Amino acid sequence: MIGATAADVGADGSAVMPAYDPSGFWDEMAEGPGRIRPHYAALARHLATLGPDEVARRQRAAELSFQSRGITFAVNQGQEGVEKIMPFDLIPRLIRPDEWHRIERGLAQRVRALNLFLRDVYHDQQILRQGIVPWELVLSASVYRREFRNVDVPLDVYTHIVGSDLVRDASGEFFVLEDNLRTPSGVSYLVENRRVLKRVWSRIFHDYEVRPVEGYPQDLLEVLRSLAPPSAEEPTIVLLTPGVFNSAYFEHAFLAKAMGIEMVQGSDLFVDDGAVFMRTTQGHQRVDVIYRRVDDDFLDPLVFRDDSLLGVAGLVASYRLGRVSLANAIGTGVADDKAIYAYVPRIIRYYLDEEPILPNVPTYLPTEADDLGYILEHLDELVVKSVNESGGYGMLIGPHAPQADRDEYRQRILADPRGYIAQPTLALSRHPCWVDDHFEGRHVDLRPFVLFGREVRVTPGGLTRVALRSGSLVVNSSQGGGGKDTWVLAE
Amino acid sequence: MLCRVAEDIFWTSRYVERAIAVGRLVAVTWHLELDAGDVGEGDYSEFWTPLLGPEVADEAVERDAHGHPRPGAVRHYLTFDANNPSSLVSCIRGARNAARGVRESISSEMWEQLNTLYLSLAEPRQAVEAAEDPHVFSARVVQATQLFFGLADSTLAHNEPWHFVNLGKYLERAENVARVLTLQGHLLLAGGEHTQGGDDLVRWLAVLRSCGSAEAYARYYSLRVEPARVVEFLLLNPVFPQSVRFSLNQARRSLEAITGPTPMHRHLDMPSPAVRALGRLQGRVEHAAVDEVLEEGLQSYLTDIRNQIAEVADHVTRGYLRYEPQPGRLVAVARAAMLMAAQQQQ
Repeated sequence: MIGATAADVGADGSAVMPAYDPSGFWDEMAEGPGRIRPHYAALARHLATLGPDEVARRQRAAELSFQSRGITFAVNQGQEGVEKIMPFDLIPRLIRPDEWHRIERGLAQRVRALNLFLRDVYHDQQILRQGIVPWELVLSASVYRREFRNVDVPLDVYTHIVGSDLVRDASGEFFVLEDNLRTPSGVSYLVENRRVLKRVWSRIFHDYEVRPVEGYPQDLLEVLRSLAPPSAEEPTIVLLTPGVFNSAYFEHAFLAKAMGIEMVQGSDLFVDDGAVFMRTTQGHQRVDVIYRRVDDDFLDPLVFRDDSLLGVAGLVASYRLGRVSLANAIGTGVADDKAIYAYVPRIIRYYLDEEPILPNVPTYLPTEADDLGYILEHLDELVVKSVNESGGYGMLIGPHAPQADRDEYRQRILADPRGYIAQPTLALSRHPCWVDDHFEGRHVDLRPFVLFGREVRVTPGGLTRVALRSGSLVVNSSQGGGGKDTWVLAE
Repeated sequence: MLCRVAEDIFWTSRYVERAIAVGRLVAVTWHLELDAGDVGEGDYSEFWTPLLGPEVADEAVERDAHGHPRPGAVRHYLTFDANNPSSLVSCIRGARNAARGVRESISSEMWEQLNTLYLSLAEPRQAVEAAEDPHVFSARVVQATQLFFGLADSTLAHNEPWHFVNLGKYLERAENVARVLTLQGHLLLAGGEHTQGGDDLVRWLAVLRSCGSAEAYARYYSLRVEPARVVEFLLLNPVFPQSVRFSLNQARRSLEAITGPTPMHRHLDMPSPAVRALGRLQGRVEHAAVDEVLEEGLQSYLTDIRNQIAEVADHVTRGYLRYEPQPGRLVAVARAAMLMAAQQQQ
């Protein structure tokens, strides 16, 4: 129904969206006060038939379902091993087919270019020789693994699993905010959120044609199989987890189960004569492909951090010999380094000879003289991010920070220009969320997942992350962010 | 399957089976207390104190002026005391924590069943409910844990992981029945100051009920409950799933499925230490008669059985759950030769 308004759907007083006001932000659901976007009309109509009690009841039912299924994450800071459910908002975010089509093409383009870049910087380094990307920026990155220079990887693919973060600004345009090329997490929530929402909103679900996301684990399995060394006829694939105290442990178990592969810890594996084996009740068994959810630094105490108990001694040597495959490859961090990020549009043009479909957020690098001056003058407008941290840590949000913090970051930037980047503060788009007993707008982003084996495949959906605190721009789950199901509508 | 996963599954299963045993014991003893009528609190402790067993430290349970543990305190110790590793809540917590580490290897249904039970026990009103009506509480936990095994049987493929569930369950069950007989053996010994006809019957029945066996006993014998038959039924019955003999037979089947059959052409090979230990134990039960058991002394027989169960569990752990190399026949022969040489020198 085109032209439905919040006013008419909310006429009976029991409605839950009587006077929702996007208040100047780009709102995913409402174009303006009382004006619902057409693809949200059916959802708004259904919500209008429910009283606040009913919405609250469904919210509780959804939370209970997450709790009993143990869909929890461990909180990194504070007490070890405390399990929390991911805060969940039950109003789905809808994406139009045409919007999705662009996202899909843009991400595929980006992931292809970044893999060509990775192959290049670990082989001939043409892009550095030609000065398209400053060589010192790549070679100075702590995540550039010079040990892997001239090591070939299966299919020349480095990043088999990518979780990119997209945002929309006040004009409604999608930007890529970050590429996560190491061990991105969150895909289990994508599948589980959908499962729960299907139960909670079965009637609304009926009114929309939503593209399914359940296929992700099978697609991932296919990618992992495609990486197996040619000698392995029936490859043994395992998922390497840091263990139950890892914040993404639920996801590791979820994926291992859905793919029907063993979930192993470092202590379950050993390397003998250049090959990797796992300790089983029937003796040892050869392992061919490892989907590792352990960071590079902890993979192998012989090569990286020698205090790591999570890894396997000798794993890297076996990998270099091509006796075992890793997903993602080692050293991919050099392509999602926040400073390299600024060069991704140029990387796309260089390797693909195409214009980027999804734009970058403008990024200022303190290593470039012009940018540095601009950053220091505009600290109260910019977001400053440490290139070595993630999860919303090590970040200054200029407009909201006290002067003391800005002064501190000024010193830090001057002391370590390679360690920081700055970006304008985006007016992230908002989406109505259920707060106490009514709807309020909250800032959201979008993390779709991209698989790359023999071809690039973007799962039609994504984790919409919500900054649940009013006015907050930080959506990371470790910082009080929550999740929403994301419905990509079929054409 | 991975050794670590096998170990966690084995222990999940043992903890769940243990919870069932503790739950039954509490419910049955509560009934004994009710049946005894109003005899004053001191006398109830006669029922509850033995449940603590000799290994429980004096200060673990609150005591009255005479040094007797208070019945309420014993119940709390057995159900909600997080410091008691064998209390109901500790068993469920242990089972859930082990299961959490291997949730990809068990079925979602099994995991959710345990997780839901665990979360429900964490609710504050549960402790109050348990103190007010131990029977309802224990019955609920026992039922929820039995459902776990039902789900294991119907949602897991009956291959290696399931056999580890079974091995853990039946070894634990054999141990639990032997333990109940140890703790409640005094109820079976006739005489004492309480002998008043019907009173004894109630106590003997309580022993059967503690092992969930009263109805099956009645159907099997269709005879008056007699202590000797109770012992025979719980230890030696070959077809009733709560007996020690039945449990050991099932454990043996699963252990052999795990180790695989010894092929004919390797007839000179020995079975693994775990299989041999379990075989010896099985023989001790299989080829026993109840009069011989009592001649030997019920308590010493039970102690021996429990020690041998512990030995089997130890060999299973070393052989399959820890990835330690197993000494084979050649090692045995070499060691025997050394022993003979040493004996000749003496």
